[in-house]
Amino acid sequence: MTTILETRDLGYSYGDGTVALQGVSICLEEGKKVALVGPNGAGKSTLMLTFNGILQPKSGGVLFRGQPLNYDASSLRSIRRAVGMVFQNSDDQLFAPTVYQDVAFGPTNLGYPVEKVKRYVTYALAYVGLSGYERRPPHHLSGGEKKRVAIAGILAMEPEVIILDEPTSNLDPASSEEIMEMLEELSLGGKTLIISTHDVDLAYRWADDVILMKDGGVLHRGTGPEVFGNSELIKEARLKLPVIVDLYQELAGRGLADGSKPPRNILELCDILGQERKGSSPSVTAPSNPGKIYICNVDETNAQQILAVLDKTQASCKGAMGTSAKVMAQESGIALDFTYGVIDKCILKALIGKSSLILTSGGMVDHAASRIEDYCRESGARIEAVRLSADANGRPIA
Amino acid sequence: MHDLLDDYAQSNALRDIDPRLKLILGLGAIIFCVSSISPVAPLFVAVSMGLITVILAKIPSSFYSKLLLIPISFALLSAAVVAFMHGNGSPLFSVNIFGFDLGMREDGANLALLLISRTLGGMCSLFFIALTTPMIEIFAVLKSLRIPGSVIELSMMIYRYIFVFLDQAAMIHSAQVMRLGDSGMKNSLSSFAMLSGVLFLRSWEQGERLVVAMDARCYDGKLDLMEQSSKTEPGLILAAAAYLAVVASVAVLTRDVQLL
Repeated sequence: MTTILETRDLGYSYGDGTVALQGVSICLEEGKKVALVGPNGAGKSTLMLTFNGILQPKSGGVLFRGQPLNYDASSLRSIRRAVGMVFQNSDDQLFAPTVYQDVAFGPTNLGYPVEKVKRYVTYALAYVGLSGYERRPPHHLSGGEKKRVAIAGILAMEPEVIILDEPTSNLDPASSEEIMEMLEELSLGGKTLIISTHDVDLAYRWADDVILMKDGGVLHRGTGPEVFGNSELIKEARLKLPVIVDLYQELAGRGLADGSKPPRNILELCDILGQERKGSSPSVTAPSNPGKIYICNVDETNAQQILAVLDKTQASCKGAMGTSAKVMAQESGIALDFTYGVIDKCILKALIGKSSLILTSGGMVDHAASRIEDYCRESGARIEAVRLSADANGRPIA
Repeated sequence: MHDLLDDYAQSNALRDIDPRLKLILGLGAIIFCVSSISPVAPLFVAVSMGLITVILAKIPSSFYSKLLLIPISFALLSAAVVAFMHGNGSPLFSVNIFGFDLGMREDGANLALLLISRTLGGMCSLFFIALTTPMIEIFAVLKSLRIPGSVIELSMMIYRYIFVFLDQAAMIHSAQVMRLGDSGMKNSLSSFAMLSGVLFLRSWEQGERLVVAMDARCYDGKLDLMEQSSKTEPGLILAAAAYLAVVASVAVLTRDVQLL
């Protein structure tokens, strides 16, 4: 793993002398999902603003790919292109009168020709699922749509690192899950993602790397279970335990779980509970007749084929991962049961004997298949993951 | 959702017609209204523009009539002053109030009628533009007219943030009303003063955040406009030209007609 962003003994204080950051030294690795977690006023936003040179640190420095940041105009341009930032309040970010103009802002200012700008904007809007919104003014969009436009505006500049300040604040639960799913998709595409959040459940389940901040410094850094397994640390940082960890600790206190390895998600928690109840090795807990999971690549199949598959397989649950799959499901009138956390949900359904269909595209097909395989290897369950594609006559084959 | 002109401009039935055509139609009608010396042509414009807006652009008539009440009330007030204070000619009637003769003469009455009809015709034409043409397309037209880029960019940002501040003002106002900030004249005045002050500070802060947001995306002095995509059918151009010709001939033919 190569380090992409690094801070060395970073210090920053505002004009009135308030110290916002002090002695922050962190290394962020390429391709990781990083969450900055901490109470209000811990310095999360200030730290983020130093990553792309919006704020110049008063002491210490920021390094991008090993090179210290320079603060002259042309260096700032290149760092801001490589490190994109999505602000907490979308209205701060969306300043152009139409969606198209806003997404085109970055590419235009990078000096791309009109045709190229158009291509990038079309791509970015399609990625966030807002094709056809080009001429809308931002004040006619919902909160979730504004956030997507803000993300599209950053994607159109092809950044290597995307920083999001409180990406799910002020969004309804389904919108925030969909935003997080989109971030997951970006991460699979190789982008490095840094978010700040108060939402401990979200940080716990989403992040590879959690950085706990307090009073302008780093309190602790580690994986989700390392940071959130420590109640003392969490209390010190004025946070609370993720519900799933809290529940697990209470279960452990009652002898219903062994307390050694907190689960990351509901699927793992269900497994732990299943093992404890049978009091035996995981392989015995595997259901005798699990459901199948069909994975369908929407790039290779059309709506009729998917409907035919649904008839043939009698999948009782349908989920879609990624924007293009969701758009396709909507266009062909397939009612989706799951639009986020799809793989886990489908495994959970398979464990109680129900079959399900996952619509997805591109690299996420392999991701879904390998996630199911990994799960089976760890838990001993035998869930069959069937990839669907079309044969030469356009008939779906398993 | 607010009942804003902008909402209708985005969704009306004439949304996709070439903005240049709509602008020429509206502005042409306004010019004929203010240059006609008889009230007939402006009244003709008012009625026809009203019908175009309500029937062709499918703007709800209830909203449209409420909107028209604003200019009409202003026009009536000023027309009343003009009618009583102006001119010579044969007196139509007069009343004696505290020893003063307050009378309306023929010239004054005619001028007042002209004033009302011009206001009505002009506002109907202006509302036609405002209710059928989104601002963004007007910006594109301005750009094609070689208006300096910085003027247009500034107008676009002002336009965008009007709605942000409108929301904020509405929220501050609700917060004041909830705590009875509107009870009594004195309270209302001081609440309004506070609202203005807070809004000013917020717009200042918003401006600073705007600069950061633009810098974060490599601002280099460019804010692109969407290219013009609408194509104009020759039939529509002919229809608009015919309409303006009719208005012009009405104005010429009725130039000597006075209503009183």
